Parts: sequence; structure tokens; C-alpha cells
Amino acid sequence: MLKLFKTIFKAGEATTKYPFAPFPVSPGFRGKPELDAERCIACAACMVACPANALSIKTDEAAGTRTWSLFLGRCIFCGRCEEVCPTHAIGLTPEFELAVGNKQDLYQEATFSLQNCAVCARPFAPTKEVNYAMALLVQAGTPEAEVEAQRSNFETCPECKRKKNVLSPVKLPLGQHMNKGMPK
Amino acid sequence: MNAIDKPSNLFVPGSMPVPLKVDEQVAKLKKTLLKDIQRSAYVYRVDCGGCNGCEIEIFAAITPIFDAERFGIKVVASPRHADILLFTGAVTRSMRIPALRAFNAAPDPKIVVSYGACGCSGGIFHDLYCVWGGTDKIVPVDVYIPGCPPTPAATIYGFAVALGLLDQKLKGTHHVEGEDERVAPIFPGIPLDVRVQIEREARRMAGYLHGRQIAEKYLALLDLKTPQELNARIQQYLAQESDPRLTEIFSRLHAISSAALG
Repeated sequence: MLKLFKTIFKAGEATTKYPFAPFPVSPGFRGKPELDAERCIACAACMVACPANALSIKTDEAAGTRTWSLFLGRCIFCGRCEEVCPTHAIGLTPEFELAVGNKQDLYQEATFSLQNCAVCARPFAPTKEVNYAMALLVQAGTPEAEVEAQRSNFETCPECKRKKNVLSPVKLPLGQHMNKGMPK
Repeated sequence: MNAIDKPSNLFVPGSMPVPLKVDEQVAKLKKTLLKDIQRSAYVYRVDCGGCNGCEIEIFAAITPIFDAERFGIKVVASPRHADILLFTGAVTRSMRIPALRAFNAAPDPKIVVSYGACGCSGGIFHDLYCVWGGTDKIVPVDVYIPGCPPTPAATIYGFAVALGLLDQKLKGTHHVEGEDERVAPIFPGIPLDVRVQIEREARRMAGYLHGRQIAEKYLALLDLKTPQELNARIQQYLAQESDPRLTEIFSRLHAISSAALG
């Protein structure tokens, strides 16, 4: 009997104290994905990467907004969204206590405004994404004043840009054979 | 078996099944029970076409490490003994009737828990032709435990929420973009092309998630001013991690950055 108690004492207690004490998760644990909406540019890279379709994006052209939404009930915690995020806005946290009684609480959403095209005034891309592309050009070495001078070009939708290019044939790069016959 | 014989719940081809409704009196009974629960809660696990990952985690939750039985939570072999029904899997068409039979066999008041990503919404199978996509499509659900699969600790937390012992922590959020919100590029001190090269090499070497984490760590160290200081920091970090794989990746990243930055 004494020997048994000795063995038990030596072996100690393997059972975790959770839920009475916080549960220490292992390093690299993949818990709830958390979006830092202020760093998000609504580029939808995470939505494309999400294998479970837990991330979705709805664009409301009439209101000029784009709503990013994460449905945790469908998330498989793979971390693909964290990998592709260009601004490090989304990342997995060690948070695992996700059980809910109300299904609506599994939805995490963020709404972003869209940039209206300078020519046709239709929304075409998130405002933050356009600004981020300009900031990247500055980081890549283009002088800031030059990028800022081109702002109206950046704020034009691809379709209007194409039309503009057709109207000004000098800028149209058609390839070396076609360009030979173009007026200089 | 009674409820599934009712015409309102019969499956009509081409339509979605109508979830069962909870009787008002049963709901009241459940509320009274949960207000002052002073007995064990027995769990019956209903597999509605899952991959068995969830089952493995449920059984991990009753091992000595997590030991759900210390709270009186016991997995039983028959729905007739159960207080909590644990529905796993995306509810395939052929498992709908067996799931309903298990639901009807459990005595009232019963707590229905939707377990795992598939149980909560259909998970990665949500748009498959042969699944109903979630437990709540066929039975009324009290608690959703998301995860693919939920860890044993998350399982115990889910049981505690189901029994009303712990409060739900997660809340639905909706952020609306503020005025003139702008995002600055990450690591502004490092040229863009060098950063892209480093990130690509780290991902090539270490795989998708860890590659990014390693690249981020390296770039954070690279942000420092003098090369001597950078070398010292890198050596210190590598010694602290003492991982030959990490050392190899870091040496390659260092070769790229010193070739580009001089």
C-alpha cells in the first residue's frame, strides 16, 4: 500500500488544470485567425487562398463598399490566409476557446470603402489598396512627388485606362512589329 | 421514431430538410435543468459522415491528460443514456435518418452540440452534392464547437459552455473602415525587391507558413543598422533556437541580403 502511494507520488499528476487554469498551448499552435482591419487593404488574397471558403468577400457596388467576412464555423485553421497576406493584417492567434451558442457570433466582418474611377465614377478597387500600391511604388524607389502626380491614373479603372490608351496612340505598346508603322 | 414519421419532416426530393423544432415545454425543462445541474452529463457521439478526426479528439478529451470524466462527462454507447448529443461530420444524405433516429432516441431534455467545422457548417464539404452541410440543417443545435478538429481543450470548453458553466468568449465583430485609413508597407527600411527575394527563398526552404514566419524574423533582424550588429544578433538568435535547419535557411537568406545590399 505504501509502495503504491510512493509510486503515485513519484509519477505526479498528468491531468491538466484546464478549465480552472489557462491552458498553455504549444508554440506554433494554430488558433483563431484574427484580422487587424486597420492593416487590411481588402485585396482578397486571403479569400482566394482559403481552401475551406471560410473567407468570403462581398462587393456592394451601389453602396461603394466591400465586406470581408470570416466564418469561423468553416475555418480549418490552415494558416494559408496568414501566408498570403501582403500587409501582415491577418494571423493565427493561440485563441482556441471558440465554442458559441449563437451561430451569428462565429462571423467576423469588416467593411471597406471602394475607390470610384476618376473617369467613369464607378467603384473598381478598395481605396486602401490603391493607396497601398502607390506607397509600394515609393518604397521601390520612385520619387513620392512623381507617384502623387500620377494619382489620377491610379484612380482610373482598367477599362477606362484601356480606352484612354487607345485614344493616345503614342503610349500604346503594340509590340515591335506593330509599332514600326505607328506615327511617331 | 415518431418525429420522422410526421409528413412535415419527410424528405421531399429537391428540397432542403426542415430542422426539427424544440417543444416549448422541453425548452423550459432544459432551462430549469441547466440552472442548477447537479449530476453527470453523459455524451453520445453521433457520426454523421465525418472523417473521424473529430472522434479522435473527443477520445483525446477523455484520456488522463484532459480527463473530461472528472467533471462527470462520460461517453456512452447508446443515445438512450445520453444528455448531450455530439454531432460530428457534415451530415451526408444517407446519415440524416440515422442521426434523426439517434436524436429521437435520446431522452428530453437533451443538449445538442455541433462538433467541428463540418458539424458547424459543412466545413470543407459545405458545397458537396451529397451533404446537407451542418447539424443545424436537421436538428436544433445549442452549442457550436468550431475547429478542424477542435482540440481536447476546446472540446472541454465547449462542454462547459453547453452545460452553462462557462460563458461564451467569442463575439461576432463588424469593423467599418475609418476616415482616411492608410496602410504603410511592411519593413520600409528594406528595398522591396530584396524583401521579395528573401520571402521567396524562405518559403522555398521551409514551406508556406513557417517560411513566412522565418522570413519575417530575419527581416526584423535586418532592420538593424550596422552589419556587425546584424551578425551578432543573428548568431545570438540562432544559438538560442539551436536548430540546424533554421541555421541553414538563415545562412541562405543572409547570402541573398548581403549580395543585394552589400
